[in-house]
Amino acid sequence: MIQVRHLTRRFARLVALDDVSFEIGRGEVTGFLGPNGAGKTTTLRILAGYLPASSGFASVAGYDVLRQSMEVRRRIGYLPEAVPLYGEHRVAEMLDFQGRLHGMARGERRRRVGEVLDLVGLADRARQLVGTLSRGLRQRVGLGVALLPDPEVLILDEPTSGLDPLQRIEVREIVRRLAERHTVLLSSHILPEVEAVCPRVLIIHRGRIAADGTPERLLTDLGGDAHVRFEARLEEDPAEPLRLLRALPGVREVCDRGMGGDHRRFDVSADEDLREEIGALAARHGWPLRELSWHRPTLEEVFARIALDLEHEGPEPS
Amino acid sequence: MRGALTIYRRELVGMFFGPLAWSLLCVALGLSGWLFMAVVKQSGGDVTASLRYTLGASTALLFVPPLLTMRMISEEDRSGMLEFLLTAPVSDASVVCGKFLAALSFMTLFWSSKLVYAVVIASLGVAPDWAPLLGGFLGAVFVSALFCALGLVASAAFSTPMLAAFMAFVANVVVLFLPVLAGLSESERLAELVGFLSVSAHFELFLRGVVDTSAIVFFVAWTAVALFVAVRLVEARRWR
Repeated sequence: MIQVRHLTRRFARLVALDDVSFEIGRGEVTGFLGPNGAGKTTTLRILAGYLPASSGFASVAGYDVLRQSMEVRRRIGYLPEAVPLYGEHRVAEMLDFQGRLHGMARGERRRRVGEVLDLVGLADRARQLVGTLSRGLRQRVGLGVALLPDPEVLILDEPTSGLDPLQRIEVREIVRRLAERHTVLLSSHILPEVEAVCPRVLIIHRGRIAADGTPERLLTDLGGDAHVRFEARLEEDPAEPLRLLRALPGVREVCDRGMGGDHRRFDVSADEDLREEIGALAARHGWPLRELSWHRPTLEEVFARIALDLEHEGPEPS
Repeated sequence: MRGALTIYRRELVGMFFGPLAWSLLCVALGLSGWLFMAVVKQSGGDVTASLRYTLGASTALLFVPPLLTMRMISEEDRSGMLEFLLTAPVSDASVVCGKFLAALSFMTLFWSSKLVYAVVIASLGVAPDWAPLLGGFLGAVFVSALFCALGLVASAAFSTPMLAAFMAFVANVVVLFLPVLAGLSESERLAELVGFLSVSAHFELFLRGVVDTSAIVFFVAWTAVALFVAVRLVEARRWR
């Protein structure tokens, strides 16, 4: 549904996108993840037909975004980060304006406005002026405007930016519902959000695609080992507990993290969760336990690792 | 065309939802009413001359179009609305034309108030000379169209509405007073060229009640050129 090949965009001497390529299939919900200034908005603006690329090719629903821009615009619902709304219009009027821009007939517009208001939970606010709405409600109106033409592809740029946690959950729920009917490309720099909504994640950093896959796959491939954090009060020399821990079946590596007050801390890497075995070992040897927990790397750690690796790899492209 | 009409409708509604249009109408109508009364008194009751004078008064022509158009592109770019419009299935030309038509409709409404004076005076028994009045009205609309288009060029070229309004005002002054500026030079060829390009000379024809095709073509052509430049400047914003 979305094809991007060798896309590059320069702003004077700054290279905002550097040879970016990816594909998104019909019905996929993809999170576009990256820190501020990574190139997320530039990519989305190119796909929405707002910005031309310096080089490369992008298509949406089979149409070239540069040469067949009108066809692309008819098939996308685009929500920019700064939700563009006319404050002096009522909510239903704003949606109706979008319907008119898309050339919808009056009856069809009326039907879609009703459906969309229900979908984004604004049926009781249809007559309220947009300028008087809270930020969360404005975000929902923005989503409604993007959804009005029932687009094949939804492009949402930071849809939860600036919202409080409750509003974020509400918007996230709406996006999850949309995912059933639309191809969604959603950008964010908030990792748990992408993890919660998107089965696929594209990580972009300094204008380059740094990773692509499901959150689980990224965690497995790039996140490093899961481990059991074991902390106990040990009077004796750590060599013996280390030996015993290493002897447990399935243990790959035991890392001595040193003393924290009276307690010594170990990270036990294994193929599976060994908390029960380690707990039993501690009980057998009378080691008073302070912590026994299972740690899996988070997407945030994966992302930080990718970003740091790229920074060490070389200077920013220019 | 559909896109331009949709944007025209929204601009017009948006214009009258805000205070700017009402304030401009209020001030401009108040001033022109006062001017009309003053000229009627001075001319010893020559209604036609007074109405012609208010139609030809350049103050409203110079000020109102820049104030109307200053926000139309520059402010919308800052607020993100331009991004919304330029990613909707309407052409850049439709966006510019819709905004231009809305500004021109406002100016037409403003100038039509002079015709209301004439109708009221005619109903009181003093029949004005309708030909120069209707011609002057038409001319004022044509000049306003050109100045609204120049205002859109400034709004597309500059990022702040105030700067856009100021530059549009300067452009209007230059265009309207070109013959005066050209008079400072002694070159005959320049005077001839300026005469050919003079907005005020073409407007004067309308004020005399002469609806000359060449004057209509003059205004339509220069307005079209200015709109074309505005569309190109909007397109250029995508490349910045």
